[in-house]
Amino acid sequence: MAIEFPEFIVPFLPWIRGIVGLSLVGVIFLGAMGAVWLERKLSADIQSRVGPCRVGKYGLLQLVADAIKLFTKEDLKPRNADSLLFNNATIFMMGSVFLMLVAIPVGAVFINGVEYPLAVTEMDISVLYIEAMSAISIFGIFMVAYGSNNKYSLLGAFRNFARMVGYEVPLGITVVSVAVMTGSLNIVEISRSQGLLWNIFLQPLGCFVFFVSLMADMGRLPFDQNESEEELVAGWITEYCGMRFGLGFFAEYIHMILGSFLVALLFLGGWNVPGFVANNPVLGLIAPTGFLIVKVVFVLMVIIGLRWAVPRFRIDQVVDLSWKKLFPLALLNLVWAVGLGLYLGA
Amino acid sequence: MEEKLGSNEMIIHLGPQHPMQPGPFRLNLKLKGETVMDAEIELGFIHKGIEKILENKTYLQGITIVDRICYLVALTNEECFVGCTEKLLGIEPPERAKYIRVILEELTRIQSHLLGMGEFGEFIGFVSMFMYTIREREEILGLIDMVTGARITHSYLKFGGVRDDLPAGFKEKAIPVLNNLKKSVDDFEQMFHTDRIYRERTVGVGVLTADVAKSLGVSGPALRATGVPFDIRKNEPYLVYKDLDFKVCTETAGDCFARVQLRLNEIRESIYILEQCLDQIPGGPLFPEDTPYGRRTPVMRVPAGEVFHRVEDPRGEMGMYMISDGSDKPYRVKVRGPYYPTLQALPPLIIGTTVADVAAISGSMDGCTSEADR
Amino acid sequence: MVLKNIKYAIRNIPKPPVTRMYPEKCTELSDRFRGLQILDKSKCIGCGICANTCPNVAIKIVKAPIAPGSEKQRWFPEIDIGHCLFCGLCIDQCPKGALSSGKEYTKGVIKWKHKDLLMTPDKLAREVELEKGDER
Repeated sequence: MAIEFPEFIVPFLPWIRGIVGLSLVGVIFLGAMGAVWLERKLSADIQSRVGPCRVGKYGLLQLVADAIKLFTKEDLKPRNADSLLFNNATIFMMGSVFLMLVAIPVGAVFINGVEYPLAVTEMDISVLYIEAMSAISIFGIFMVAYGSNNKYSLLGAFRNFARMVGYEVPLGITVVSVAVMTGSLNIVEISRSQGLLWNIFLQPLGCFVFFVSLMADMGRLPFDQNESEEELVAGWITEYCGMRFGLGFFAEYIHMILGSFLVALLFLGGWNVPGFVANNPVLGLIAPTGFLIVKVVFVLMVIIGLRWAVPRFRIDQVVDLSWKKLFPLALLNLVWAVGLGLYLGA
Repeated sequence: MEEKLGSNEMIIHLGPQHPMQPGPFRLNLKLKGETVMDAEIELGFIHKGIEKILENKTYLQGITIVDRICYLVALTNEECFVGCTEKLLGIEPPERAKYIRVILEELTRIQSHLLGMGEFGEFIGFVSMFMYTIREREEILGLIDMVTGARITHSYLKFGGVRDDLPAGFKEKAIPVLNNLKKSVDDFEQMFHTDRIYRERTVGVGVLTADVAKSLGVSGPALRATGVPFDIRKNEPYLVYKDLDFKVCTETAGDCFARVQLRLNEIRESIYILEQCLDQIPGGPLFPEDTPYGRRTPVMRVPAGEVFHRVEDPRGEMGMYMISDGSDKPYRVKVRGPYYPTLQALPPLIIGTTVADVAAISGSMDGCTSEADR
Repeated sequence: MVLKNIKYAIRNIPKPPVTRMYPEKCTELSDRFRGLQILDKSKCIGCGICANTCPNVAIKIVKAPIAPGSEKQRWFPEIDIGHCLFCGLCIDQCPKGALSSGKEYTKGVIKWKHKDLLMTPDKLAREVELEKGDER
């Protein structure tokens, strides 16, 4: 994408890029705060109670109060904790999440009928890049759990490894099957190609396997064995307090938002809108992005609601599920996708 | 439990403060990876010295103390104590008072089972189950509140009868609540039966055999889930249970699933008993006639003697052995609580399972540590 | 598989919440709720049976005027809220029926000093405001 800038702006371009980038970081955190608010309110609705309601209208500023509390807490470190791992673990987690964010387009604008996707970078292999970066977050969680010098966290760390190893494989295979059917690894291309029919109708099994693997990847119930509060007293993040904990907490929610974006872009049609909307000057600016955000919020609500509605697996059942049930289904989906791709391409 | 550790083993305390426990006790586990190799229970964190306190209080004051042995099922504890004293005094409450006592105790049983099921759901990760059952429990507590004046630690029973009669319109308020509860219990049963994750967590987990249970002295739902039909309300009926028609629920599997299913069935039986009581309750006085016992208890010198009385607590068999020496304070009261033997059955069951199962098994026993420690 | 649970959860969403917004809306107390006791000075004879019956030794019998501003004093019960269980045994055992249950359980029962927790007979008879004498 190449926009010609007027002459007088060019010396200031790095500054403008820097400011836009930093404000995007702020927007991401605002999005995470919104996701936490949504979780608290939705869980309260399921359980017939009210949720946050005192701080700000409808409790919207509750997260601001929580962030202030987290900033002002004392920073404790256990005596025998590994300094290097303990200090840098949650920063590492946050970093891996931001690396993933770089490649995901948050929407598109149609100016004069030409589509400009809103992504920080547009890579040819963006789907593969996102997969690889999400695998880095395993290290973050292990650093958190191992560096705490706590037996409960250690149990959480081992469970985490067992889970992640099993679920990265079906996740990757379903993503590859979508890419095979579309013919490109670029996430913008995949989103564009769903103009006629969403991928969820072409590959329903793939969508199901991807969704379940994504829930396991993010560590949401029913797959949150590493932080199961009832057995392991907050599991992997027991020893963290203050903003160290806050970074890990927000990293998990940003990962959740990213996962919803992935589902919406890969399977639910991305930002495709009918032709007449795209050509409309005003609607073309806001409608595609708005449509995508609506889909993302819907997927987010499904992910959040599922946490409060079902019990939790045991760790050996989780591993069993991934290798014996999801892996063959993912392979089946790959075969189906290859066949469908050949048929559609022919 | 040996302190010597092998190559991969570590000792972990599911300690006195833990989100998982129904009350403070320390469970030492020797883990190899995730498997439990050895287990040991330590009690005594909530010992209140109730049996010693009872020696220095009169019998009337003792009713408020016995309330606090297990604060969730206070009325059954009071029934045990008052029953012992009435046996020593040689008096018996009239029919209406007996029916009122049965009504309140069955209501207590229902709310205790609802709370136990909710806690079990929470221990296996199903947090919303706790909220669902608590919502139903509120209605039942409202009924108990209407009669006794308090939701917990009621101090409602008196020697020879009960303190207050049922309020006007109690039956009209109770019947819709019980009908709603029947529908909710059906909903919960459906949710438990069709949920695949729940079945994988509970079927075949923590199997207690009938021989082990009988030799340890386990009673209550944990024993009935192994197939032994032992219920004090049928074996040694007290109050008006011999006039009521109900059956003793049993299951044969003895695992966590069977125990929870048994509690659901017991709630249904209790609702049936309540409906019969509300139909059959006679009019009449609340205290035996021609005796000085009434709402205002006279100064009592209980005749010397020893007596043992037991009742069916929601958790099992609760008994009290009372020795009186003729004065106005008991000489010795020994309480036999139902949860202590069930806790002793826990370590053999959890050896060989994973940490996640420890939570499930100890939650399905539905205990109140306050009762084990007294 | 897990559909029943999800259906139950979704069915719960439109139902109204069962929790109350305290302190704007207070609990509805039942008729037999046992709050702070009310003393009827005309019936009390100062026998001390309530003090003997209390399981926690919360009642002491003290001298107090029989009416506000009167010279004559009689023996009346004084209840220590810090020790009272609100069990109602004193109300049951009174031979003249001078004590009965009120409904206050937050007003006037939360104090800063122990001497303010001693509910004098004037406060029990509701001749004096329950919150009087609070020093912060």
